[in-house]
Amino acid sequence: MEEHVCGLRVGQGVPDIKLETFDPTKGDFSEVSLADLKKAGKWTVLFFYPADFTFV
Amino acid sequence: MITVSRDTKFVHLAWQRDEKLLEKFRNQMGSDPTGRLCRLFGVLDEDSGLALRGTFIINPQGTIMNSEVNFYNLGRNIEEILRKVIANRHLAANPVEACPAQWKKVGDITLKPSAKMVGKVSEAVKK
Repeated sequence: MEEHVCGLRVGQGVPDIKLETFDPTKGDFSEVSLADLKKAGKWTVLFFYPADFTFV
Repeated sequence: MITVSRDTKFVHLAWQRDEKLLEKFRNQMGSDPTGRLCRLFGVLDEDSGLALRGTFIINPQGTIMNSEVNFYNLGRNIEEILRKVIANRHLAANPVEACPAQWKKVGDITLKPSAKMVGKVSEAVKK
């Protein structure tokens, strides 16, 4: 069955996302929050890829 | 830049420590085990349960300024992503300008779309 997934589009706002992360600069687990990035006035690139241990 | 896949943070750790190419990798590696974020951005391939190669540039106000999605078999050019981020930042600071296709870096010719430019883009990009 063909599924149509709607996604956010260019020009739309992103909700305040929170994600668990691994932070290689600290070698430790961490968290990122889009709300914090906004507060810090930062540009964000979200870079999705299929799975670890594959090419990017 | 935040990288995102459905792997857990534990797998991210193992991959970053294991893979020589990631030795100098310094970006936060986000974990989306439920696929909720992948689905929100429309990059979840429901057949495989994996994320497609999607790239989204988000401005400090939280608005998506650019989106690009590749299928599994095509990698991304980091230089091109950087070019887009730099162009977006320049345009945010200079809202009357536009970056033409050939624009590579700050200082390159930008356009100021106006009635005068209609039919004269070729001349405008050569100035």
